[in-house]
Amino acid sequence: MQLFHDVANQIKCQPLIDWKALNRPVVGYTCSQVPAEIFHAAGILPIRMRGIETDGMDIGDAYYGPFICSFPKCLLQLVGKGAYKFIDGAVITPGCDAMRRLDECWRKAGEDYDGIIPGFFYYFDVPHKAEGHGMEWFVEEIEYLIAEIEDYFKVTITDENLRAAILEYNKGRRLLSEIESMRTSETPVVSGSDMFAATIAGTVMPRAQYNEELTQWMASLSQSPPMENVRKRIMLIGSITDDPDLIRLIETDTDAMVVAENLCFGVRSEGRPVDEDADPISALAEHYLGESTCPRMYGRYKQRLAVLKEKIEQSHVDGVIMQNIRFCDLHGAENALFEKDLEAEGIPCLRLEREYGPMIDKGRLKLRINAFLERLGRGRKYASSN
Amino acid sequence: MSIVAGCDVGSLTSKAVIMKHNKIIGSFILRSKPRPRDSADAAVKGALDAAGLALEDITYCIGTGYGRDRMAFADHSVSEISCHGKGAKWLLPSARTVIDIGGQDCKAMKLDSDGQVERFNANDKCASGTGRFLEVMANVLGMDINELGPLSRKARSPITLASTCTVWAQADVIKYLNSGTPIEDIGAGVNTAMAKRVAILANTVKPEGDVLMTGGVAKNMGVVATLEKLLGLRIKKARRADPQMAGAIGAAVMAYEEITSRVLEN
Repeated sequence: MQLFHDVANQIKCQPLIDWKALNRPVVGYTCSQVPAEIFHAAGILPIRMRGIETDGMDIGDAYYGPFICSFPKCLLQLVGKGAYKFIDGAVITPGCDAMRRLDECWRKAGEDYDGIIPGFFYYFDVPHKAEGHGMEWFVEEIEYLIAEIEDYFKVTITDENLRAAILEYNKGRRLLSEIESMRTSETPVVSGSDMFAATIAGTVMPRAQYNEELTQWMASLSQSPPMENVRKRIMLIGSITDDPDLIRLIETDTDAMVVAENLCFGVRSEGRPVDEDADPISALAEHYLGESTCPRMYGRYKQRLAVLKEKIEQSHVDGVIMQNIRFCDLHGAENALFEKDLEAEGIPCLRLEREYGPMIDKGRLKLRINAFLERLGRGRKYASSN
Repeated sequence: MSIVAGCDVGSLTSKAVIMKHNKIIGSFILRSKPRPRDSADAAVKGALDAAGLALEDITYCIGTGYGRDRMAFADHSVSEISCHGKGAKWLLPSARTVIDIGGQDCKAMKLDSDGQVERFNANDKCASGTGRFLEVMANVLGMDINELGPLSRKARSPITLASTCTVWAQADVIKYLNSGTPIEDIGAGVNTAMAKRVAILANTVKPEGDVLMTGGVAKNMGVVATLEKLLGLRIKKARRADPQMAGAIGAAVMAYEEITSRVLEN
């Protein structure tokens, strides 16, 4: 478990260092809709790029301007400072317009900062609809990506390689799902912040090593006693976050636990297996686009609301905290709709707008979270002594 | 019967209240010091002195405000949002909507019949609708913040402050001063700008029932009157105690409820 926290809390983590020490390539990608199995099949380590450890915004602000989501700005800041110089390739996607612009801003910054554009720099288009020609388009995009990887890295990605990669990734997904059920149960044995750190680690670590760590962790959890003092069960949803500290802020010094989430870096993307029997490219397309519950997809609000309601019921959630990064139109607008619909069904909700970064708004957020938890505690005593 | 205390260490002022039989027997307010613990100590000492009591006489104490987790003597801490709801209920039992303007934040709350917060919203993007905004403007006008309310009543042609940013509004106020605009017209413009910001926030919780304002700005009649016009609602006055003490009162009421429930349980 400690390894998962180490990986989740630093970009240059040990598994990555060990991988690079063997002269093996690493490709960074920016969105949960990029099929990591493709890189794995090519012997490349795919890592999801994160904005943690950002200590300023001079580069991000210079190319992006102030009124935009701080997540891609943090990525660009780190790129400009050379924090990602170890990657051999980068894949940018239109996860949202701010993320799409990372492609342009990164290229432009590359004119001013030497060596920040990796040799393989690829724009991977992702449609906003999965139906009909949207899915055909996505399948084509995957095929283009495979061809480019083969060409640049001088590798061959076969259906057999892809099938093996899908099996390996599914192994991790199934383990995560089992651990997730230990967290969402009425007597959870794993905290929200531990679970989230483990899920983030899955986007960075070599898959075989990750699966091994998950197996060991699950074995230890099966011997663990239920967590004490879990009186308020929280679900966390909304904008991208890759920082377990946000969950820690909810769980520390309170009797609350994040028993469920619907986050881009969370089990939302990692909890379901890819079809192992179908054509591998079609199966990946169906998984990464067809099952997407991200608000960047058009016309799927009802589906996303249903996903939340199902999770709320399964996890016995007392309240939902919905956060969004400032200037995030997608999650900002959707959170307002979720709040209206969930509150109408008697599910208490708290909406938080925040900046992405190493817990920039900690004091402000903690006040609102505490007040929300006190609301959930109605009818209970206020106090147990310090 | 037990004596309880509530202590609210805010960003600008710190307040403490001592209660016995659910009645205030001592209170104190001071400008917050750099360290929350020092503010809390001074506030409680002042309130205890006013009540003629010592720290040992307090059975239970709840802390609130930004310094709520740094009070050596507090038995428990509760967010100021919950405390202001409870304090508002104590100040005006019929209150169902509370608008609290603190030093650096502004909150609107809907209460249930027990004074529990059902729904709340707080300023997110900037501090222009807070006490700090008024304090900065009063500073520029060279007067005490308490003079802003009475001053605006004398206004004949209040100015309009287009910007909601405290710093830019300050530049506008200086410009009006330089151009010879009567100070009461500037003061009224400042109060109106403040009320407009607060009204936007208050409307998000759909105010209804009896509305009460808490926090120091509740004593500024210029802001209150404009807010009433903007919301189309009467804002009730807290007559039972100083509305600026609402957070500390709420904390003390919760402390009282806590020991009462303990007695009943035993």
